[in-house]
Amino acid sequence: MSAVLELTGVETGYGEVQVLWGVSMQVEQGKMTTLVGANGAGKTTTMRAIMGVVHPWKGTVRFQGQDVTNLSAHDKAQLGLVLVPEGRQLFSDMTIEENLAMGAYSKRARQSLDANLKKVYQFFPRLEERKKQKAGTLSGGEQQMLAVGRGLMADPLVLMIDELSLGLAPVLAQGLFATLKQLKDAGMTIFLVEQNVYLALALSDYAYVLAEGRVKIEGPSHEVAHNDEVREAYLGI
Amino acid sequence: MVEILSSVMDGLLIGLVYGLAAIGLTLIFGVMDVVNLAHGAIIALGMFFLYLFFGAGLHPYLALLPVAVLGFIFGVIVYQIAVRKIISGPPLMSLLATFAVSMIIIGVGTALWSTSPYNINFKVTTYNFFGYTVTSARLVSAVAAVLVTFGLYYFLYRTVLGKAVRAVANNREAAELMGIPSQQILAITFGIGTMLAMLSGALIATLFPFTILSGGVYELKSFVASVLGGLGNPTGALFGGIILGLIEGSVAPFIQVSWTNVIEFVIFVGILLFFPTGLFGGRK
Repeated sequence: MSAVLELTGVETGYGEVQVLWGVSMQVEQGKMTTLVGANGAGKTTTMRAIMGVVHPWKGTVRFQGQDVTNLSAHDKAQLGLVLVPEGRQLFSDMTIEENLAMGAYSKRARQSLDANLKKVYQFFPRLEERKKQKAGTLSGGEQQMLAVGRGLMADPLVLMIDELSLGLAPVLAQGLFATLKQLKDAGMTIFLVEQNVYLALALSDYAYVLAEGRVKIEGPSHEVAHNDEVREAYLGI
Repeated sequence: MVEILSSVMDGLLIGLVYGLAAIGLTLIFGVMDVVNLAHGAIIALGMFFLYLFFGAGLHPYLALLPVAVLGFIFGVIVYQIAVRKIISGPPLMSLLATFAVSMIIIGVGTALWSTSPYNINFKVTTYNFFGYTVTSARLVSAVAAVLVTFGLYYFLYRTVLGKAVRAVANNREAAELMGIPSQQILAITFGIGTMLAMLSGALIATLFPFTILSGGVYELKSFVASVLGGLGNPTGALFGGIILGLIEGSVAPFIQVSWTNVIEFVIFVGILLFFPTGLFGGRK
């Protein structure tokens, strides 16, 4: 076991409303881990708690063995823990080029800016063609490409993606999943939240099923995918 | 006729300085949603900082540099003490906090300099173009305002730090996720907005006598200019300032000065009613 990212008993929520009730999970180096569950199960909150956008009330988040629970989001990004947030969250009034440059803001990422930019344009040639265009004027698919590209510019050691395919046409979603697979094959550690449970389980190595703010089931993805109880009770598939 | 044209030209030149002040206000609003009620007091402080450096023997235009540096530092300090903690709270909090800062500045300023008028007495040349006379002070202040505005645009669009300011303005949370220390960026932005306000105050001080209370008038003008141009839009604010100056210049030969305020605020209300995002579009 070489967990690069480890949550232990994380509890948090918004105001008085508790969302997570003691979530523990591990993301292993070089593997793709996925987090699935129904709407409102706490998937996005888990991601936000890891980054510190939402502060954990209890529990710890460890990254590369270091306790990072109380670090700010930008400090974690500097360390290489990078989240591509739900809803893309682009800098909509800035160009594609500028969005990508902002992805590489941290000192660590700035050193490999040129190499990463080349890589991103290789994955998404469309972004290079339109690099002077404002992010807000892009189509949904292009925006998601840019969101992932911006995440890659941050030179992640763990790439977390919250809802890769949400709101995208199936063809576009498949394209993005193909990119994800390439990244995985190249050795990138990936932690994926995805509403398309079939694809997520098919592609990932290990899966956590979240329901009502608790981890209900975990295991190798192919086992979880074939567990009838899981399918009926938590995934609705 | 020449008289009217002269007045309009004068209005245009001073309008650029109003524009600079308005940019300081609108930049802070655009990036962090804070309406800085200390804006006028900071403008007045800029006037007195210039006065101090001038008193120490510096030429007023040379003194603009240390005023700018002091303005930036002052803004960062004000942000860290009065704004930082409440930046995510309800808007009323930052209104009250910046209002308190304004009262503190004016209170300390009154204790130090009283409320009597001061002026910067330096050698001003007068030029005459076909009957239009203009002072070097007016020309220089207008040119300086334009240069500072260009400088700001260069910063915002060509430097990594400036782009980070725009990124934080666009989406603070996403900026954090990309490793941009948003609080630091907000402090820098508040520093720059304060610096622009102080510079505009210093430029105005080279033109007219001033007191520690003079800032109020220019704060109001900044609000009108910002709203004219669309709150949060620096270019719009500059043009808003120019429009204000032109209005002042073109009505000055015909009516009493006290009426210009009435006209400006009638226009202000009209813009709010009919062009709520300003003439040049709201925040970018």
